[in-house]
Amino acid sequence: MLKCSFCGRRAVYDRKYAGVMLCDRCMIESVERRFRRAIAEHGMISPGERVAVGVSGGKDSVAAMHMLAEYCRHHRCELVAITVDEGIKGYRDRSVPIAVENARALGLEHRIVSFEDAFGDTLDRIVKLAKSKEPEVNPCTYCGVMRRSLLNRAARELGADKLATAHNLDDEVQAIMLNYVRADLARLHRLGPAYEPREGFVPRVKPLREIPEKEVALYALLKRLRVHLAVCPYARGMHAEIRDFLNGLEANHPNSKFMVLRMFERLKPKLAEAVPRFEPRRCSSCGEPTSTRICKSCELLEGLGLKPIPANRAAEK
Amino acid sequence: MGGIVIRVRSFGKREIRSIELPKRVMVADLLKRLDLNPQTVVARVNGKIVVERERLADGDLAELIPIVTGG
Repeated sequence: MLKCSFCGRRAVYDRKYAGVMLCDRCMIESVERRFRRAIAEHGMISPGERVAVGVSGGKDSVAAMHMLAEYCRHHRCELVAITVDEGIKGYRDRSVPIAVENARALGLEHRIVSFEDAFGDTLDRIVKLAKSKEPEVNPCTYCGVMRRSLLNRAARELGADKLATAHNLDDEVQAIMLNYVRADLARLHRLGPAYEPREGFVPRVKPLREIPEKEVALYALLKRLRVHLAVCPYARGMHAEIRDFLNGLEANHPNSKFMVLRMFERLKPKLAEAVPRFEPRRCSSCGEPTSTRICKSCELLEGLGLKPIPANRAAEK
Repeated sequence: MGGIVIRVRSFGKREIRSIELPKRVMVADLLKRLDLNPQTVVARVNGKIVVERERLADGDLAELIPIVTGG
């Protein structure tokens, strides 16, 4: 039996990048410690704030919601949950009830918003329409942009001071690499543990950013949290290729993911000089904050001949 | 000759398949045989979560939980 490097109990995880083995208790404590350290180091949440957490029902967001609920109890914060139902048949319709169940168990206010209500159509139908025009279209382009927009809008309507998302180390490093490959300097520069306040946007924070995906999964399993473990039917393309590449790299060269993150953090301050400043404007179509005449969600919808969100439905802060 | 048989079940599935492996193999060897990256899977052997360096014994039931969900 392999033993925990700290207490000698039976090990459940080999943290190769740190050269230690962890038992169930030490693993849970370690993950929770990293979560609290990220919040403290980056000033993600202040006492008394109203924090919204995006929760899909998947392992990352359910784990984040449970840790945030505990954190908020000790720091006089108020936690509310937001679930975006994109309308992915056989996938999201199975995870939403799990999000509901967890939020209810924690006694949280929970708002569910859907693409269908906000944009007039489900992601499934939007993708079908997009594919009829452009067969090689990547569904994540639509989902990512529209989900972010809707999460922000819901958080703003709920009066949240912060919007916590469950991005883990793997998500963050994949995003860094993806923006490198796409040469998207503006998006690369925006990545970070906490987003700077901008008019109309609820500042986003990522308390799981320094926790590898496998450790978040182990945390959820060891804590016996009820989570939805299924693969998104649309998860493919370059993003998935980068994910597989990074997992291969990490398996052969432990600590690679953290090294990519650390290198990015050293480069980030220098990127500011190369990125044009964001001029806050309002989307002429839906009223959401944007840097261009119309926001990306409306641009994508208009490209498909769909009606963007009516301006009167975009809440003002 | 002289190998061991491991019963393997994919997460959420009922079917159990048997895989013959040499003696003294580790969970990592099983994952390699199945072409699975340890970064993407949690292994539960006889109901307990184990590290990939744990050795497998004849008749063990290994459950492989995919943790990369995407979306």
